[in-house]
Amino acid sequence: MKIGVLCSRVRLEEKLIFQALRERGIGFERVDARKVMFDLSGAMPGDYDVVLARCLSHSRALYASKILQMQGVRTVNSYEVIAACGDKVVTTLALLEHGIPTPRAAIAFSEESALTAIEEIGYPVVLKPPVGSWGRLMAKINARQAAEAVIEHKKALDRSQYAPFYVQDYINKPGRDIRTLVVGDETVYAMYRSSPHWITNTARGGSVSNRPVTPEIDRLSRAAAAAVGGDIVAVDILEAPDGSLLVNEINHTPEFHGAMQVTEADIAGKMVDYVLKIAQETVKEEK
Amino acid sequence: MKIGVLCSRVRVEEKMLFAALQKRGVDYDRIDPREVVFDLGGDGLGRLKECDAMLVRCVSHSRAYYATRWLESVGVPAISLHRVVATCGDKLLTSAALQKAGVPIPRTVVAFTPQTALEAIEEMGYPVVLKPLIGSWGRLLARVSDRYAAEAILEHKRTLGGYQHSIFYIQEYVEKPGRDIRSFVVGDETVAAIYRNSPHWITNTARGGDASNCPITPAIDRISRAAAQAVGEGVLAIDILETPDGRLLVSEVNHTPEFRNSIAPTGVDIPGKIVGYVLEVANMKSGR
Repeated sequence: MKIGVLCSRVRLEEKLIFQALRERGIGFERVDARKVMFDLSGAMPGDYDVVLARCLSHSRALYASKILQMQGVRTVNSYEVIAACGDKVVTTLALLEHGIPTPRAAIAFSEESALTAIEEIGYPVVLKPPVGSWGRLMAKINARQAAEAVIEHKKALDRSQYAPFYVQDYINKPGRDIRTLVVGDETVYAMYRSSPHWITNTARGGSVSNRPVTPEIDRLSRAAAAAVGGDIVAVDILEAPDGSLLVNEINHTPEFHGAMQVTEADIAGKMVDYVLKIAQETVKEEK
Repeated sequence: MKIGVLCSRVRVEEKMLFAALQKRGVDYDRIDPREVVFDLGGDGLGRLKECDAMLVRCVSHSRAYYATRWLESVGVPAISLHRVVATCGDKLLTSAALQKAGVPIPRTVVAFTPQTALEAIEEMGYPVVLKPLIGSWGRLLARVSDRYAAEAILEHKRTLGGYQHSIFYIQEYVEKPGRDIRSFVVGDETVAAIYRNSPHWITNTARGGDASNCPITPAIDRISRAAAQAVGEGVLAIDILETPDGRLLVSEVNHTPEFRNSIAPTGVDIPGKIVGYVLEVANMKSGR
């Protein structure tokens, strides 16, 4: 059995994954996404049973998984999961289609209809780029003047000229949100991300603490993962003032160095064991 | 029955489609995606939901992409369906779908950094074509004939930045006979085909190429329908290249084709064919 790990930079997470693979005596190769030539009419060199995609860049993960799948290589996550999680519009629709609670949201294609959408949902709202990570270019909007200014700036950004405005109801959360990790059918951990700022991403300075995996958190996390077809995903959950839980976003290439401070779970080991299980199934199917 | 036509600008094509709908006495509603709020999971948008089928004629791929995904969610059949729009709007996804279905395509290599892209180009051999994954009308297509050109273009792409210029899509340049073929597939039928003739290697009629009738040979019919099947089904234009040794290769598939210059040379009522197909889809939905 041979596992490929596709990544560009090797962060702590990838080092731990390599270590877990070594501990289990599994043959693996690190595949540097920056150096691979994907020949569409050829086969992927390496003959991997499964490729674990750990690319920091969403577009690399997306296209690499597409090509690998076309060449008959199973990827974790699959292209479909990466495509669904990488785009907040698609994530929201997938959650709604599976009856999973998520904040009210709308999309609009012009400055005027974006303003209408914002006022229909009611201030405060959050404006997000459909594709993006680490809380970048997210805007919390409390009033009409701010809405007009942010919309104008977004429009002036050449890159997002045709991207829709994604408007989401702002949930007045208690200074924190919940992030859980789902591997296969198991919720491995849950943690609070706390911050005085409304953006709680640890990349933006949020601090973490353990949050017990209650049956409710477990159920919601696994249902959210299943809605996008997820193998290994992180689920962001918001607590509404009335105590209800809403799924906000799902991440297809979770970082977990922050979680290691607050949970005993062997995260890399769980991921590797899951990848091996998929690899065994893949090998069996081929025989 | 009610047909929706989703479009921002009304071009010649959309006017022809409206005329074809009127001629058949069909009740239709033109909806401008810029004027509506697409409520995710909400109750708004009665106008869109009332339609038995939605012909999507957005010039912007991004709008077509999100609107069709939304329509799928509320159960209104879109022409074309979301997965077809998603695949055809992205050249890499198109090539992958064609390759998987065994439809012949030019040799294509993908790289994620300028350095690796340069290696891939040199391995393939000049000239090659560099294409942005998303884009139309031959914009930012580059025929690269030597290393200096390759370096310059890769540097410009890197500076352009953004999502799609950081994925390098490199394709073998096919020495075509001063023309390529564009065929129109509506549902499962190849309804018309034109030659696009141009002294320039980019033959798009939007770039000055001129159109003449191309007889639909069994080979053209076969490859056109195979390409349409590979990406899904709908109203599609297939771009086909003829190699010097007489083989046909599919280079692109377009999900919102322009057809104003293809009616006169072929004598085919393309808007009529499109409307006929849309009505078929709508009838299936309403069970009539």
